Amino acid sequence: MAKTIFIIEDDEFLQGLEATKLKKEGYDILSALKGTEAFEIIDRKEKIDLILLDLMLPEIDGFAILKKVREESHVPKVPVIVFSNLSEEKDIERAKKLGISEFLIKSNFNLDELTQKVRELIGK
Amino acid sequence: MDKEATLKQLQEKNEKLTKLQSAKSDLISISAHQIRTSLSAIKWIVRMFINGDVGKLTAEQENLMKKAYEDNDRAINTVTELLMDNKREDLLEKKYSFEAINLIELVDDTIFDFSGEAHARKVEVIFLRPENLPKVTVDKEKMLIVLQNLIENAIKYSNQNEKVFIALREKDGAVEISIKNNGTPISGKGKPKIFQKFYREPDAIKKEAVGSGIGLFTAKQVVEAHHGKIWFESDWDKGTTFFVTIPCKK
Repeated sequence: MAKTIFIIEDDEFLQGLEATKLKKEGYDILSALKGTEAFEIIDRKEKIDLILLDLMLPEIDGFAILKKVREESHVPKVPVIVFSNLSEEKDIERAKKLGISEFLIKSNFNLDELTQKVRELIGK
Repeated sequence: MDKEATLKQLQEKNEKLTKLQSAKSDLISISAHQIRTSLSAIKWIVRMFINGDVGKLTAEQENLMKKAYEDNDRAINTVTELLMDNKREDLLEKKYSFEAINLIELVDDTIFDFSGEAHARKVEVIFLRPENLPKVTVDKEKMLIVLQNLIENAIKYSNQNEKVFIALREKDGAVEISIKNNGTPISGKGKPKIFQKFYREPDAIKKEAVGSGIGLFTAKQVVEAHHGKIWFESDWDKGTTFFVTIPCKK
């Protein structure tokens, strides 16, 4: 059974590129463009094996989503890769405290490298 | 005009300038993040072309795409540098606020922050972590600027597949930080100027076109405000090592 990656990214174009790449690698994809949408998907208790999370999102930001995942979801231990262009220590520190697996700055990584990180965390 | 009125006027002007500075800083930060997001998209798409994900390219097309990828990466570096300078400027304006901390954690955090940069440049960062280290009294945020400058430089000016070594130890009542790389050493002419504001080594400019030349100047200012010392040793045989000492008791 294919592993499911939940992509939370407000830029539709970037989300499309990430989803296309990861689908091609054999993963199933769930996606949300907004924090509220992400909350709904989490509340529906969908199967999620890894979350790819942007931090700057409209309405509800990535930190609030991360907190919900850890404290009020059916997948409190799911690996989370933060994939954002925020790069300040206070953001990295805050995300680390919420138990992320990786903090990747989008502009430093291409999608092959992102896929490699996903594979390292959850396999194929 | 009496003294009181002049003082009031100056205070008002100062407040206005502070607000303007803060607005300028926010504008730079928001714009830089947006530009970085667009550049990320370009980076990913160009990579897809180079990989042949959207069809096979001719040799000429592939070369052009590789050039576009490199130029885009340079633009990303420029924006990253702009963001960091903007943040440093904001931080240095703030008053020093000292607290006793363990530098091991701060070094760990800084290495984590630059893991993406090191990965992108294929440079391995090795931290020779001591088992114990006395705490030092520092302004954590400003000391972070020093570590960021030195660690980022060590990564940026290394060649691919090289290693950066970071060590911490207690020595003569101080904690000594050393950061070593094996990139091109600092030239004889550059050695007396390396901590001067805006100075950049010609070889450094060749390797990294983007850079403001204020990183080491800032680092020296911060270290000296902690009554510490900063210096370096650099030659072809041993590479370049920057040392910082911070007294255990301020």
